[in-house]
Amino acid sequence: MGGACSRKRGQVDNEDGLHGGVSGRYHKSCSSKWLMTSFSRPPLDIQRGEGKCPSLMELCAHKICEDIDKYSTFSMLPRDISQQIFNELVYSQRLTEISLQAFRDCALQDLYLGEYPEVNDKWMDVIASQGSSLLCVDLSGSDVTDSGLIHLKDCTNLQSLNFNYCDRISDHGLEQISGLSNLTSLSFRRNDAITACGMSAFAGLVNLVKLDLERCTRIQGGLVHLQGLTKLESLNIKWCNCITDYDMKPLSGLTNLKSLQISCSKVTDIGITYLRGLQKLTLLNLEGCPVTAACLESLSVLGALLYLNLNRCQLSDDGCEKFSKLGSLKVLNLGFNDITDACLVHLKGLTNLESLNLDSCGIGDAGLVNLTGLCHLKCLELSDTQVESSGLRHLSGLVNLESVNLSFTGVSDGGLRRLAGLSSLKSLNLDVRQITDAGLAALTSLTGLTHLDLFGARITDSGTAYLRNFKNLRSLEICGGGLTDAGVKHIKDLSSLSLLNLSQNCNLSDKTLELISGLTGLVSLNVSNSRITSAGLRHLKPLKNLRSLTLESCKVTANDIKRLQSIDLPNLVSFRPE
Amino acid sequence: MKKEDTVKLISAEGFEFVIDKEAAMVSQTIRNMLTSPGSFAEREHGEVTFPEISTTILEKICQYFYWSLQYASLHWHETNLIMIKESRFTYSSSLALASKSRGKETDFHIEPELTLELMMAANYLHT
Repeated sequence: MGGACSRKRGQVDNEDGLHGGVSGRYHKSCSSKWLMTSFSRPPLDIQRGEGKCPSLMELCAHKICEDIDKYSTFSMLPRDISQQIFNELVYSQRLTEISLQAFRDCALQDLYLGEYPEVNDKWMDVIASQGSSLLCVDLSGSDVTDSGLIHLKDCTNLQSLNFNYCDRISDHGLEQISGLSNLTSLSFRRNDAITACGMSAFAGLVNLVKLDLERCTRIQGGLVHLQGLTKLESLNIKWCNCITDYDMKPLSGLTNLKSLQISCSKVTDIGITYLRGLQKLTLLNLEGCPVTAACLESLSVLGALLYLNLNRCQLSDDGCEKFSKLGSLKVLNLGFNDITDACLVHLKGLTNLESLNLDSCGIGDAGLVNLTGLCHLKCLELSDTQVESSGLRHLSGLVNLESVNLSFTGVSDGGLRRLAGLSSLKSLNLDVRQITDAGLAALTSLTGLTHLDLFGARITDSGTAYLRNFKNLRSLEICGGGLTDAGVKHIKDLSSLSLLNLSQNCNLSDKTLELISGLTGLVSLNVSNSRITSAGLRHLKPLKNLRSLTLESCKVTANDIKRLQSIDLPNLVSFRPE
Repeated sequence: MKKEDTVKLISAEGFEFVIDKEAAMVSQTIRNMLTSPGSFAEREHGEVTFPEISTTILEKICQYFYWSLQYASLHWHETNLIMIKESRFTYSSSLALASKSRGKETDFHIEPELTLELMMAANYLHT
């Protein structure tokens, strides 16, 4: 067993991460000093536990939040102090519609209330009372409606507004903010009510640098109102499947655009021709668009292009010779296209490439010879290709490789010694049924590995002895069915592990849980389909960082885990059975 | 206590607090006053006047300075106690000590009526 349990990871659209930005809950475009000191710091008590002395400012803010009902106004305080109290209240989730009243006329600059519970139109009055001081407002996920936006009209210095997932805002709401010409960043993700008509409000926002309309499904025809927004550098209209070639035309004059995301739209090669003048474009995401290699003709004139995502498009080898003109590219995603080794020939000269995704393409060993000169490659995705062991010799010289995915390929033990010299390698996916202990033995020199996926590989107890070389492993998956408790002995000392998946090894018993009870860094643990029983759960008590625990098809009930959660593992948020 | 190891902090009302220099240096602002080059009178005489900080608040701030030092040393002690535990030396008594040091004296009490004024002073003193 085991092979049938192999699984393919979902494709994640990760353009947001390309710039190295944090996609955290409160990620904002405008920076603010307190963002570093408030949201990103752990709560006060945790901080105490870690031994860092809280400042008197923090202690006071904390104290005020505890007694917040006693304060009727903070308007006499200097702004940075009331801002810190506000942030602490939001952070500790103590801010309510009532306590918000104390912040009327406090001249606050930043109100980051994204995903904060129960925010609605009744909050808008106090929010707007900050007047011309107000710079950034995030009300994502709130129940604010069009009439709530009326209040913002007079906050004319606003630079950044986020209303993602606010499904009660429509064209009328946009009208209210049409005069806020100091706005540089505006975001209305996932809104089905905004249409071309309402987007005419954007025409006056001449300082807009960043506009995000991801998943707005009815905006077709509306981009014409962006024509005069010549400062625009970033436009995200991912997952707006109403967007067609016709919508590309108004973008042709936005020559300051650096980032354009139109994935999963109806844009074809014809639409792409309108982008030829965007000489500053560094990022273009066309994932899932019905474009062919013919669009490369237009893209080849974009000299600044660094990131190109053509995942799940309609490329074939025909026309791929134009790739050779995209010499500046650093990141190229060609996954799930009908291309073969014949296409790879034209990638030979893309020597700046750092990341290449060929997932599920029709490529094989012979094609990989064209990658030998791509010496800057850090990340190579070859999952679900026809690559076999003999192709790996072409990777031996790519010494900068940090991440290689060979899952569902034809590679076997014999080829793996070709990877042994890739000393920069941190992540290796060998979810391949043919791989056995012998293959692992060939990799012991890869001591920098932090992620090793051997999900479907046939690793046995004797093979786990080689894992001792991978002291830095943070995630490990061995689910081929061949492990017993004896093998887990070699895993118990991998103290950096935060994710461990040993599911499908049906001989593992409670002894396994006892063995790994010292891996206190574990955040996620899966030992499904094993002989674990509820009696073994007690060994998990020291794993205080555990957030996810999966013990499907074991002799463990949801109640057993809930008991463990309530007494010993307060951080556990996801568990199965549930 | 040698004079050069202490500083004098003077409140708005003229009340003088003589405290360890080490404690006063918890405040970034006072540290700058006492250490940065230039002709700071504060540096010469080891004396700082705060015309906008009342006696009550300045007293509280001095308490915080010492609390902060004690906080740091407690954590140092805890680290040491763990080391002692590991060497199996006076296991039970060190455990008792550790739990005692985690007791209520590690919380810094702030009277609700002082909080706002204290916070403004803390903001000024960068502490």
